[in-house]
Amino acid sequence: MSRFSLYDDEAHPSPWQHTWRAFKSSHIALVGLAVLLLFVFFAFFAPLVAPYNPAYQNTEALLIPPSWAPNGSITHLFGTDALGRDLFSRIMYGCRVTFGTSLLVVIIAMLVGVTIGTVAGMLSGVRSSVVNHLLDALMAIPTLLIAIIIVGILGSGLVNSMWAITLALIPQFVHHTRSFVRGEMKKDYIQSSTLDGASNLQLFYHSILPNMIEMLVVQGTLALSIAVIDISALGFLNLGAQAPLPELGAILATGLDAGYLAPWNIAIPGVTIFLMVLSITIVGDGLRSALRKRVNR
Amino acid sequence: MIRILFRYTILFSLTLLSLSALSFSLIYLFPAEPVTTLTGITPQNLIQHEALMNQYHLNNSVIVQFADYLSELFAGNWGVSLISGQPLSKEIMLALPATIELSACAMFIVVLVGIPLGCYSGLRAYSATDFTINSISVTAYSVPVFWLAVLFILTFSLQFGWLPLSGRINLLFDIPPKTGFLMIDILLADNVDKAAAFSDALLHLILPVLSIAFMSTASMIRITRRSIIDVLNKPFIIAARSKGLSSKQIFFRHVLRNALLPILPLMAMQITTLITNAMIVETLFSWPGIGNWLIQAIYQRDYSALRMGMLAVSTLVVMITIAIDLFNRLIDPSREKYESVTI
Repeated sequence: MSRFSLYDDEAHPSPWQHTWRAFKSSHIALVGLAVLLLFVFFAFFAPLVAPYNPAYQNTEALLIPPSWAPNGSITHLFGTDALGRDLFSRIMYGCRVTFGTSLLVVIIAMLVGVTIGTVAGMLSGVRSSVVNHLLDALMAIPTLLIAIIIVGILGSGLVNSMWAITLALIPQFVHHTRSFVRGEMKKDYIQSSTLDGASNLQLFYHSILPNMIEMLVVQGTLALSIAVIDISALGFLNLGAQAPLPELGAILATGLDAGYLAPWNIAIPGVTIFLMVLSITIVGDGLRSALRKRVNR
Repeated sequence: MIRILFRYTILFSLTLLSLSALSFSLIYLFPAEPVTTLTGITPQNLIQHEALMNQYHLNNSVIVQFADYLSELFAGNWGVSLISGQPLSKEIMLALPATIELSACAMFIVVLVGIPLGCYSGLRAYSATDFTINSISVTAYSVPVFWLAVLFILTFSLQFGWLPLSGRINLLFDIPPKTGFLMIDILLADNVDKAAAFSDALLHLILPVLSIAFMSTASMIRITRRSIIDVLNKPFIIAARSKGLSSKQIFFRHVLRNALLPILPLMAMQITTLITNAMIVETLFSWPGIGNWLIQAIYQRDYSALRMGMLAVSTLVVMITIAIDLFNRLIDPSREKYESVTI
């Protein structure tokens, strides 16, 4: 439908409304969003909704199967682990730890990465080339290696693994911001602002940033899924979150000890991580195609 | 051409220099005596301490120390492991080929499965087949690698007993490690039943390779699909169609070549993910590779091993990345350096 007269239209949807409309048209993306919101809910309200304390060890109830198994009980929805801790509460708190820290890590990495990327994108000549090459070298180092080195220097723990993952995520943000800023700097609207006497900072804040937000959202979801996988992997390898802290990877690793007796202690944390990453990926994909549709309109 | 080669040589040596500077700084960053981290020897008394300090110029300025560190690196004197007391160069040269073998097999599967499937679903974009392939790849992308490996072990090794649980080869085969690459070593070894050893080694490879390749194949499918769709929308495809070329001709002459070009740099980025996954999977399958070795080193706080292992792995990855980048630049000189496709 072509708009015949701009003034006769009743409402002019903002770019974000357009995006939301395109996003809504995909049912799978909506389901993904619902699952993701559930995890966000757990991340914020786990202490309010969890039925038990995640560290409470009930020696009367060791290795109770989940409630759908023949000899499971409804008092422990997902059953209990080898120490008699309620798995459902632990998973809820685990979402809080894993998802919450991932979110934090991505936000920090984004802030730092965008700053460095913008500076690198506005630079030119030898300085820019040095920054670019150094970043490419950093990007090539595997995450796990950075994590191992940081654990070696600072010792293991959730906070230290967060630093490691932040360090590993920053180069990707820098890379994308840099190429985006480079592309934008050549465009006419930036030129006209420059001719009006805008400083680099004003250019960034008023002209480039509003256009960049979409790219950042898409990159952010991508980084979020990587961060969730990496944090739980480090927890699994016992390099990240330490034992009593309910972190999904660490819960999975403790579940391995009684894995043959109680397979649900392996299955449920794994499925939770899988669902978390899946919902993040689906929402990210939905956003991306929604944005693509909007731009192509 | 020569200019490009020259540029990349400089880039490569600068990167290596900064990596070795990083590994040198670890000597002072790790919570152990610098002498111990550097050499792997814990000095027993003050005299030995002083002798080691003098031998490695640790009393001189940092610049001298670093220069000395570099010359020791090039001489192959990498120090000894804090725990086992073995020379690090020997240990790394045994562990690194195992990882390379594992990752190369995984990469082979990724390319062999990922690119054809990606092409297929890209050509039939937004159809039912494309939708199926795409959703399978999104699902596969989200499976955490350590969980997948555990599931594989539980089902195929413990439940059914079809595939071996750990290691590279059955201990009954006595293969002397000459190159470190097991496949080559089997060929070189004498008085061993080569066919049996070969099939046994292949059986040991299946599970770890599949768990590593799973996630990377998924992203390869997505990348290839996007790239194919982008190329199909280009005007030169319409031109080729209006010339009356068959769809086969269009695909092989115009679509495939142009679609594969932007995939290459992304493949270089995939290698980093692949190596990280390989390191995790190695610990689960007790694969005697560099990842397993490094993780054992961090559990035991073997600082000298960590310092050298970090340098070895990052050098390997940077080498592969820069080689792919260079190759890409050579076959496509018109390309701007940082252009790449999205997923």
